[in-house]
Amino acid sequence: MGDSQYSFSLTTFSPSGKLVQIEHALTAVGSGQTSLGIKAVNGVVIATEKKLPSILVDETSVQKIQSLTPNIGVVYSGMGPDSRVLVRKSRKQAEQYYRLYKEPIPVTQLVRETATVMQEFTQSGGVRPFGVSLLVAGYDDKGPQLYQVDPSGSYFSWKASAMGKNVSNAKAFLEKRYTEDMELDDAVHTAILTLKEGFEGQISGKNIEIGVIDSKRIFKVLSPSEVEDYLQEVE
Amino acid sequence: MSRGSGGGYDRHITIFSPEGRLYQVEYAFKAVKAAGVTSIGVRGKDSVCVVTQKKVPDKLLDQTSVTLLFPITKYLGLLATGITADARTLVQQARNEAAEFRFRYGYEMPVDVLARWIADKSQVYTQHAYMRPLGVVAMILGIDEEKGPQLFKCDPAGHFFGHKATSAGGKEQEAINFLEKKMKNDPKFTYDETVQTAISALQSVLQEDFKASEIEVGVVREEDKLFKVLSTDEIDEHLTAISERD
Repeated sequence: MGDSQYSFSLTTFSPSGKLVQIEHALTAVGSGQTSLGIKAVNGVVIATEKKLPSILVDETSVQKIQSLTPNIGVVYSGMGPDSRVLVRKSRKQAEQYYRLYKEPIPVTQLVRETATVMQEFTQSGGVRPFGVSLLVAGYDDKGPQLYQVDPSGSYFSWKASAMGKNVSNAKAFLEKRYTEDMELDDAVHTAILTLKEGFEGQISGKNIEIGVIDSKRIFKVLSPSEVEDYLQEVE
Repeated sequence: MSRGSGGGYDRHITIFSPEGRLYQVEYAFKAVKAAGVTSIGVRGKDSVCVVTQKKVPDKLLDQTSVTLLFPITKYLGLLATGITADARTLVQQARNEAAEFRFRYGYEMPVDVLARWIADKSQVYTQHAYMRPLGVVAMILGIDEEKGPQLFKCDPAGHFFGHKATSAGGKEQEAINFLEKKMKNDPKFTYDETVQTAISALQSVLQEDFKASEIEVGVVREEDKLFKVLSTDEIDEHLTAISERD
C-alpha cells in the first residue's frame, strides 16, 4: 500500500520505547464524541452522541452506528472518515468468510480481522494509524458479545465500556450501574442515562443514536421516534 | 527521524500531532478559505441551488473559461470551492466514476453515492503520506429518485453530510449564520425562493450587490432532474426579483 517513496513506516519507536503515533491517535479518539456499549444477558446495546456541526445539516443523511453483518453492529469514537474505511473492510471480510464457510462469521473472528487491519496501518509504509476506536456489538452462538478495538489494533471483550470525550465519567457511571443480570431494556435505559451525564444541551431522538441486538440476532439501529420513547421512559 | 513532536513532520504529511490532530488536513481547510471565494448552497422543496462568486483576476482572461461549477453527469452537479487545479482533478475523477457506475450498474449514480465516493477518496489522502489532501470543498447537488432534492458537502478531511443549506469558502461562517436564521423553521422553498435565498445570502454576506456576470448559479429541479447552469439573463431575472422584493 502506498507509494514506494514511502516504503518506510511512519510509526516508529521513540527512545523510551513508545509508539507515539498510536498515542496521538488515541488522543484523537479521546476528543471525539462520546459513545458506549453495554452487554446484557439477552443482548447488547451501543449508543453515541450525534452532535452535528450546524442545524443546517440534514440529520437523516448521517448514521454513525452501522451494521457489519445482520447480527453484528459497530459504533466509533474519533474520526468519522477513518471509521468508514474500517466498516467497508470489515463488511467485505465478513462476506468473504460467508462465501468460504457458508456460515455467518463469529463475532470474535470479525473483531480479530478488523483489529488486524488497524494494526497493519501502524506498521505499514507511508500510512498513519486510524484515528478511531470501535465498539463492536454482536450476537452469535456464543451469546451476546461486546468488543472494543483501539487504533493500535488491540481488542478486549467488555461487559460495558465507553470511549471519547467523557470517557472517565461515563466509565465510572457504568461501573456503578452495571449488574451481571441486566436485561436489554435496562441496558438501553442505563446507556441513555450514561450519555445524559455528560451531554451538553437538550438530549433528544435527533442528537443521539442507539443500536441494539437481542436474542433474535438481528442488529437494529433505533429510529429517532423509538429513541424518543426510551427517553420518555427514562424521564 | 527524531520523535517527540513527530520530528516536525506532523506539519508536512498527514501523521498525527501530539494533540491528535492532522495539521495537513487543517491546512487544506485554510487553503479553501484563502482562495477568497465564498459559495452557498440551498435545498428547497423541489429544487437545489448553488451559487458562487466568479472572480476573474485579469481582464484579458476569457471569462467563459473561469468556472467552478461543473456538471458531473446530466443529473449531477459539483460546485468546487478552493484551489482550482485540485477542483479540476476531482471533477475529472468524479465524471469518470459516475460514468463507470452507470455502465456497471445500469442506473444513474445517486447523489449520496457520489458524495460518499468523493469523501472516501479524500479520506485516503488524509491517511496515506504519498498524496496530500485536496484543497477543495465540494458541494454536490442532484435529485434523488427516492429522497428528492439533495445537497451534499464533502471536505478535505473526508467528512460528508447532507445539508438543508450550507456554505464554503472565505465567509463560510457568516453565511452559515445567515442561513441558519432563514432555515430555522424548516421552510419549504419553491424554486424561485430557493435561488433567491442563495443569491441574497451571498450578497448579504459579502455586502455587495452583484451583476449577473459576477456570479455563477447552478440548479437542479424535480420536474426535469437535469443539472443546469443559469445563463446571465436568467440570473438577471432573479437579481431583479430580489431588488424589487427589498
